[in-house]
Amino acid sequence: MELWTIGNKAGLLLYVILASYFSAEATDNRLLLAYLIYLCLNIAIPIFRDNLLRRLLATLSAAFIIYCALWLNPLFILLLPVNLYEWTDYGRLHRGIAFLLMLVPLFLAPWSVIPSYALAVSLSYLFYAANRSHTASLQRLDDERESLRLNQQRLQRTISENDEFMRQSAYTIKLEERNRLSQQIHDEIGHSMAGALIQMEASRRLLDANKEKAAELLGNAISISKEGLERIRLTLKDMKPRSEELGINRLRLFVDELASRQGMTATLTHEGDMDRITSIQWKVIQQNATEAATNSFKYSEATAIRIHVQVLNRFIKAVVSDNGKGAEKIVKGLGIIGMEERTAALNGTVIVDGTQGFSVTTLMPLGAEGENVHPTESEYSHGEG
Amino acid sequence: MNVLEIRNLTKKFGDFIAVDNINLSVAEGEIFGFLGANGAGKSTTINMIASLLRATRGEIELLGRNIAKHNKFAKMNIGIVPQDLAIYEDMTAYENVSFFAGLYGLRGSLLHERTEEALQFVGLGDKHRSFPRNFSGGMKRRLNIACAIAHRPKLIIMDEPTVGIDPQSRNYILNSVRKLNDMGCTIIYTSHYMEEVEEICTRIAIVDHGKIIADGTKEQLKSTITDTKDIWIGVKSAESLKVDSLRNVQGVTAVRMDEQILKINSKTEVNNLNDIIQKLIRDRVEIRSVEEQEPSLETVFLTLTGRNLRD
Repeated sequence: MELWTIGNKAGLLLYVILASYFSAEATDNRLLLAYLIYLCLNIAIPIFRDNLLRRLLATLSAAFIIYCALWLNPLFILLLPVNLYEWTDYGRLHRGIAFLLMLVPLFLAPWSVIPSYALAVSLSYLFYAANRSHTASLQRLDDERESLRLNQQRLQRTISENDEFMRQSAYTIKLEERNRLSQQIHDEIGHSMAGALIQMEASRRLLDANKEKAAELLGNAISISKEGLERIRLTLKDMKPRSEELGINRLRLFVDELASRQGMTATLTHEGDMDRITSIQWKVIQQNATEAATNSFKYSEATAIRIHVQVLNRFIKAVVSDNGKGAEKIVKGLGIIGMEERTAALNGTVIVDGTQGFSVTTLMPLGAEGENVHPTESEYSHGEG
Repeated sequence: MNVLEIRNLTKKFGDFIAVDNINLSVAEGEIFGFLGANGAGKSTTINMIASLLRATRGEIELLGRNIAKHNKFAKMNIGIVPQDLAIYEDMTAYENVSFFAGLYGLRGSLLHERTEEALQFVGLGDKHRSFPRNFSGGMKRRLNIACAIAHRPKLIIMDEPTVGIDPQSRNYILNSVRKLNDMGCTIIYTSHYMEEVEEICTRIAIVDHGKIIADGTKEQLKSTITDTKDIWIGVKSAESLKVDSLRNVQGVTAVRMDEQILKINSKTEVNNLNDIIQKLIRDRVEIRSVEEQEPSLETVFLTLTGRNLRD
């Protein structure tokens, strides 16, 4: 903005100098001095950073111009508009005020300079107004960019924090699990093994002396070992999550709840080998089903909802459909976007269809990459749901 | 090198999302099929590839160059056979082709040569001076193709080129697609006729609701839903049959006798029909019919999307 103002002033000053040089009057040394003073004052303006000082200088310059215009050469008045707009600008006043102030000398100036003055006013004002609006929009863009940058940084930080948290919690869980396991092995299995060992040692010593006693001790050792073996089995079984916490059973629980709470008919069917669905995939299926079902009883006026989980050769398909009014045009809300994002994390897609009731289909590839998965022999089974 | 590379392509019309974040690449020499119901977003995608529609988001690269930045390059290297006929009924066949080829900057003897070549190619070499208004539907389609290929594009896009034409013209068109492919053209082919796509495409993408649900060769697509097939063998009487010996044949997963039909389920990738039949003959079973039932692309589509292709 400043540079443009300086240019504006320079142009006008050049015009004033040339115009007075070519006019009939002889060159006046006082005129030269006046130009230099004007230059000094106006060069000083952009040097200072303080708005008040700048405004003062602009006022001084304006006063000096009026003085020169009155006593030396009326052409000086042409330089006034720029200083006036500077004055309003530094004072953060409305630019209309600048325009009004610029108009005042029109009534006071001698007839001969009025046309030139009008030209100077209109050009300077236009220049100033355009400049100001562009500066404002630049400023706005800058602010916007800055806030975007900050936002991005914040998000980046959140992501890395979350990553760290995930790593940490995975590690913690592993540690806890290992602790629990070694504790259990020590408490239950270690003791019985030690007991059995003692009995067996004793029986070996007694083998020659007292055969009956030795046989009894050996019998004890055997039963203790059996018990220990049983404990190992139980411990291992205990480590596997209980079946109601997993997959289809959890989904069934959700469906039953839906049916009793919302008064809808809710059915769950499945087809194919459910064991091939990993727990993370179950989680996505579960969350998507919850989301879709929530949408259904909020918007669809449906009376029945149907969930179907199907394991294909390389895909898992989970469909939640209702018999409601559906939707001609589907507008993606946060819910649908959430489902899509969750599913995309496992390389899957979500199809939302509103033509026959409302249906949400979640498709996910089976196996890590979805490729080169060779199912085992046992996997041939047709629908049992 | 990939002829076409599409990244995160999205097209919205108001708040309707016609194409939803598509990623796709087509390698040189492929006949790539877009399979989807009406309104799935096939034509929208194609119109964006042809620069007829501006993408809301995402990039399309043709031969390694962004088509938005190298518009002229893209136009010179793409030939489009649009779904709706784009020919002038009151210009002769020759004039039609040379008009379109002229738009691509062909002039003089080269223009003449290429026009002739294109007309010959679609089998309209003897119809130079005829007006398309007297043509059959199939001939109009063929002329439409000639207009698109005269400037020898690297990539030819055919949007439902066989809608509403007689079987003969249809075969002719399918053959010319193969011939163009043999000559080095990469082809993108959309259709909702499953059999056509299954017949000519080397790779297929299934599109629904603006998304690519699965893509791959037709074998890969079929294997997404199952890796077994049913073999139904009609027999006169199966009393002498030893079912267990059949179960031991490589690839066989289940054997069941249903009335007069022996239903065998087997892995798709194993070719064991000979072994099975040999065993049957050895057991003196009289065979009446043999039928192999593999899933079709139609089944794949229906299973994945829950909808028919032609609703």
